[in-house]
Amino acid sequence: MTPPDRRLTPDDRERFARQLELPEWGDAAQERLRDANVFIAGAGGLGSAVALYLTAAGVGRITLADPDVVELSNLNRQVLYTTKDAGRDKVGAATDRLVSLNPSAAITPLRERVDADSAPGLLAGHDIAIDCLDTLAARFVLNRASFEVGIPMVYGAVAGFTGHVSLIEPPETACLECFVPRKEPPAPAPVLGCTAGLIGTLQATEAVKRLAGVGETLAGRLLVVDGLAMRCDVLEVQRDPACPVCSSR
Amino acid sequence: MIVYLRSGGKLCDLLKPDVDEYTRKVDVADGLSIEEILATLGVAPVMVAFAFADGKVKRLDYVPADGETVTLQSPVAGG
Ligand SMILES: [Zn+2]
Repeated sequence: MTPPDRRLTPDDRERFARQLELPEWGDAAQERLRDANVFIAGAGGLGSAVALYLTAAGVGRITLADPDVVELSNLNRQVLYTTKDAGRDKVGAATDRLVSLNPSAAITPLRERVDADSAPGLLAGHDIAIDCLDTLAARFVLNRASFEVGIPMVYGAVAGFTGHVSLIEPPETACLECFVPRKEPPAPAPVLGCTAGLIGTLQATEAVKRLAGVGETLAGRLLVVDGLAMRCDVLEVQRDPACPVCSSR
Repeated sequence: MIVYLRSGGKLCDLLKPDVDEYTRKVDVADGLSIEEILATLGVAPVMVAFAFADGKVKRLDYVPADGETVTLQSPVAGG
């Protein structure tokens, strides 16, 4: 039973009315989102969709990490930003936008790159990490840190019309290094803006379900979206017994 | 044995589909892995991250069955 001072406010009831009405949702799920602390690594195309939808859904605390500034060439997909933001640091511009969307959300901007040394300390205290990064090398750092800290990670990646989404649940499921080989494609990858929006929105859906404890997630499965053929495959992923990250745990 | 290789994007240019817009039919020796089949087609392994078949992610050492369709995934790393 939620203590009276932690119950949803009248403002919460109005803001979230359309999802509170869902039979799978209700006060308990909404309170879990409000009490959640989410780490979003990357405030680009994926991070834009993830941060906007998690803030809109009522996630209480979000840390958003990205070292970059907004460039005009970002704006085909990074819908957190406007033309006027060009030249601003992304996490500063993002924080303004997210707080204006939901003033109750506590947004912590981190203008830094998540690296192997800093990642475990940065993730500590969060309930879930969301991979919105733009290289495989950075993803492997976040994957390893999520295993070390013991929190789930929502994997997402895009190129062209193609995207991937999965939920990695340490220590139960395969981790990213179990099924994604270290083959770094040339960066930056060309991408259709709406591919990033589609995959980021799917990542947000997985995070919301996982935090609220509703529905069936992509834990142990990989969703592959081929937007050109408009085909989706949901694939079983298996642990690699020789995985350098998760096999000895 | 016959293997159907399905792909998209840049991989399609390399695989030269002949069954439909995305699929190439290849006739290769029994027992070849995906990586070995790609070598016979002159496709560098770095161009393919993993494959999938029968609803499962497969590494490139997977040996397809006769008549199987295998979908190839390029490395995907953008954000
Ligand atoms: Zn692993």
